[in-house]
Amino acid sequence: MKNRLKVLRAERDWSQAELADRLAVSRQTVNSIETGKYDPSLPLALRIGKLFGQPVESIFLDGDEA
Amino acid sequence: MSAKTAVSTTSLLSRPGLWVTAWFVTWLVARGVLESTMPTWLRVVAALAPTPIAAAALVTIVRGARELDELEKRIQLEALAIAFVLAVLLIMTLGLLELAITLNRDDWSYRHVWAMLPPMYFAGLVIARRRYS
Repeated sequence: MKNRLKVLRAERDWSQAELADRLAVSRQTVNSIETGKYDPSLPLALRIGKLFGQPVESIFLDGDEA
Repeated sequence: MSAKTAVSTTSLLSRPGLWVTAWFVTWLVARGVLESTMPTWLRVVAALAPTPIAAAALVTIVRGARELDELEKRIQLEALAIAFVLAVLLIMTLGLLELAITLNRDDWSYRHVWAMLPPMYFAGLVIARRRYS
């Protein structure tokens, strides 16, 4: 699944470690989500949406939208 | 004992690595005792000595696993899945080989086979970690 996490993080000038701290996950988790190697759980996706003030579906895009 | 010291001691005791190391050291001591001439009851005590340490290690490992973040949980699950299949394969193959040939018990007894299981877990961990890095 594609996502806009890296773009949103860059807009706020946050490092992966900083974003990981804000989401209470490891930096590896943030990196794996950004590179599309790992799809987050629904609770984590909701936390990401809340952190960036955007609905989950505008951050995570399914294959047809990507 | 100050509050700070008490907290750091508690923190130390909750570390799985400490208990796994203690478990290994207890095993080494047990091996040493069992290689010497001792009464049977003492040999049995030595053989069982690592068990309570292993129980403490298990408790701290499970507690630690519950605190892992979701990706690390998945990595650990995949590592354990790989290790489990490899362990079953090893034991099954040794069982079949035992029917085919006479295995030398000096090389293929329980005391040798268990030591092959942790490397399987670490191999699984490397494979799983690589997939998400």
